[in-house]
Amino acid sequence: MKRTKRSNGFVRKLRALHRDIGYFCIGMTVVFSISGLAVNHIDDWNPNYQVDLSVKKISINKTQQNSADLDQLILQQLEITKKIKTNFWESESRYKLFLEKDTTVFLNFNQQQATIETVTPRPIIASFNKLHLNEVSQAWVYFSDFFAILLLFLAISALFMVKGKNSVWGIKGGWVVAGIIVPLAFLFI
Amino acid sequence: MKTFAITALLYFFSFASSALENKSFGTGANMDKLVAISTLLSSPNNYLDQEVTVAGTIVSVCSKRGCWMKLASDKKFQTLRIKVKDGDMVFPFNARGEKAFATGKLFPIKLSKAKAIEYFAHLAEEAKEEFDPSSITGEMTIYQLVPTGVTIEYQQS
Repeated sequence: MKRTKRSNGFVRKLRALHRDIGYFCIGMTVVFSISGLAVNHIDDWNPNYQVDLSVKKISINKTQQNSADLDQLILQQLEITKKIKTNFWESESRYKLFLEKDTTVFLNFNQQQATIETVTPRPIIASFNKLHLNEVSQAWVYFSDFFAILLLFLAISALFMVKGKNSVWGIKGGWVVAGIIVPLAFLFI
Repeated sequence: MKTFAITALLYFFSFASSALENKSFGTGANMDKLVAISTLLSSPNNYLDQEVTVAGTIVSVCSKRGCWMKLASDKKFQTLRIKVKDGDMVFPFNARGEKAFATGKLFPIKLSKAKAIEYFAHLAEEAKEEFDPSSITGEMTIYQLVPTGVTIEYQQS
């Protein structure tokens, strides 16, 4: 009888701790899960920047390419009013014009074609990704370690949250076993 | 109160990394060791075992992982690739057109003709640029700088 009372007290404390730590982990879980989805598909999209492209025809001859007014001529033909940061000749026929507001114009004089690229950082998800990939201070790495320990606590304490027929020690334990088998199975596929 | 808290959080995450000030990565660049990229690439073997700092306009950046960037040389058409292990430093994709300083060591990479074609095709694909395989005529050695510190100077716009 005494032992059961002590055991009930332990479970109550564990349950309260599981609840409070669970609440504390909500923010971190949201950050890691959303950025996890974002960076998992890095080959399909750019998770940090939205990249907008537009292709336009230009008409610039060899003499104009070598003139000091080249940059102004390009902006004029493309009807762009942004300020020029700098430029770069990549080869005899390929030229880059870097403009303010994260805009770059790629020019191919052989094809008489300009590609205008505007890059916009994704506002919230880029911050999440930065945290997920440990791009901030070393202190964040320690905090992430602490978060990992808290998740471990949540996983282990979850085993003692429910008593009776729905406890993990009964039929519901199948879910725990399934959760272990699934990642293991991927090692053999 | 709830609406205010959610708005404040979204605002914080939205602007957490948008300030345009000079950015340092690793130890930051050491400005006492400046060597022109053209000098470095004209006699790379003289610089292999020492730390050097190069400077140039950022003309390309790895768009997804930010694990490399190309700096324009003082010589026409020439660039030097600054390469880090994924995650060691993350160069901002929207830093193109800004000036960067990188301190580190120059590393040679010997490539057979086939490997060179594969390598440059991959770089062109990452940078969304054109690549002509016939521009590679034989085996070659390329050089890249592996930095310990980088500083990007942002222009005020």
